[in-house]
This record gives sequence, structure tokens and C-alpha cells, in this order.
Amino acid sequence: MTLLQHLCQLLYDSGFGTMIRESDYAYSIIESVHVITITLVVGTIAVLDLRMLGLVLRPISITRIARAVFPLTWSGFVIIFVSGFLLFWAEAAKMYTSPAFRTKLILLALVGLNPLIFHSTVYRRVHQWETLHVSPWRARVAAIASLTLWGGIIVAGRAIAYF
Amino acid sequence: MKSRIALALGLLTCLVAAPAAYAHHSFAAEFDGSKPTRLVGKITRVEWTNPHSYFYVDVIDAKGQVANWGCEGAGPGALSRRGWKKGDLKIGDTIVVDGYRAKDGSNLVDARRVTLPDGRTVYGGSPGDGGPGDNGTDQGALPTAPAK
Repeated sequence: MTLLQHLCQLLYDSGFGTMIRESDYAYSIIESVHVITITLVVGTIAVLDLRMLGLVLRPISITRIARAVFPLTWSGFVIIFVSGFLLFWAEAAKMYTSPAFRTKLILLALVGLNPLIFHSTVYRRVHQWETLHVSPWRARVAAIASLTLWGGIIVAGRAIAYF
Repeated sequence: MKSRIALALGLLTCLVAAPAAYAHHSFAAEFDGSKPTRLVGKITRVEWTNPHSYFYVDVIDAKGQVANWGCEGAGPGALSRRGWKKGDLKIGDTIVVDGYRAKDGSNLVDARRVTLPDGRTVYGGSPGDGGPGDNGTDQGALPTAPAK
């Protein structure tokens, strides 16, 4: 048994993990919160991505939209991370072997890398292009990558129930 | 216009996905409604877990061979609301399970009707999973005739 698998088993066997796993209501409530918060996180991210692709809110500058949605995105991120971790805690030993969960973690790592690259490159000069109706190609690539990866994360998350 | 269509599609997806998330997975995703199966056996393991419960029984076939079968049921919440409590299944007890076999052919059934050692018969399906006996209520409807 690898160290990681051992840790997953410890979480799974813990009193708190067992409490969630065997609960009448807690698990479904946490799961609902997790799913509903997808709309907040991915929805606000998608608004910015679609704006950079020139599909929505074209007269409004990129930074103005970013300032408006980021507090929502980050609050949503905290909620979705905590609820997701609680669900993982309850099922850690099963998640360790789940191909869908592994895929989701890889996609999450990639979706985290995307803004790191984006912000350290083309977004540094955002003031030169933020009012353009369609953003430069590097920003559009980042937007498409973000939309694709988030879509994949939701599908992989849903697939945990099936694989 | 394109963006409006995209938005409408997105909202529609959310509406379609919401009940699916509640049921976690549907009956038809894993089980074959045309393969009713009755298992009679001794309980070897119980997993009283979200999002689905599992229990395992040792079944002896006509040739005397013992095979371990998994039985999937609804989560603890739905089962509790039907009066089926965690301690009702004990290792070593003999139970009767009427269910449907997994599509992949493994030794797994979706337990729709379970006869407990005390004689009670309980519905095991997940609420809203669209499987046999799902009538849209939390209690479900026990099949009137036992599955063969």
C-alpha cells in the first residue's frame, strides 16, 4: 500500500469521514452545495472567457468584468473546495482507485496552471487590449482552454458515480 | 444571438443535470431491468454508505458452489425514512433479495426488494432512479410479484 493510499484509508476510516458517509442528510446536503456552487465558480469564469472570445458584453472592458466577477469566483472557490474535500473525506479510500476522480484531479491541476501562464504573459499587457471587442489570440486560447477544462472537470466529477 | 443560444443551452444543461445529481446515478446506468434475480444468502459485509449502500451475501447455487454477491441499495437517508435502520442487517443473517443484475455481468444486483430476517420487506431502490418500483416518492412501491 502506498503512502497516499494509506492516507486515503486513514481519512476514510476516521470518525468524521464515517459520519458523513453514513449520514442520513449531511452527505446529500454537502453534495448539493458542491454542485450548486459549480454555477458560481464556472459561471463567473465563463463570463470572462466568453468576453475575451468576443461573444458577450463586448462594450465592457475586460478588467471591469474581472473586478466584478472575481469576488464571486473566489468565494465560490472556497465553498466548492471545502465541500469537495468533505465529500472526498467520506469516500477517500474509494476515490483513490476511481479513474474518474484521478482524471478530475489532473484536469484541476491543468486548469490551475492556465491562469498562472495567462496572468504572467498576455494579461500583463491587458491595459493595451482590454477594450478590444475580441481579445488577442493568446487570451482567446486561454479562454478556450479554460472553458474546455472546466467542462471536462464537471463531466469527470459526474463520472465518479459511474466508474 | 449565438451567445444567447449558448446561455440557454447552458441553463438547460444545469436543469437536466440537477435531478441526475440528486439520484446520483440512475438505475439504467448500471443495471438491466430485463434481468430480475432472486438471491437468498448469508450476509458477509454491510456498507451503510452514501451515496449508495452495499451489502454482500454468500449464495449457494444448485451445484453447491458458494458465490459472493454484492447488492446495491439507496443511501442511508432514503433507507432510514423507510424504517430500515443501520443495524437491521447483521453479518451471518440470511436475507432474500429481489433485484436486477448489473449490465457488466458481475455478481452485483440492484436490490429493489429486501426481506429482512425479522420478516419485514423493504424497498431498496434509490428515490428517483427510474428503476422498477420507483414511483417518484421517497418510499417507492414494492413490486407486487417477487422477481424470479
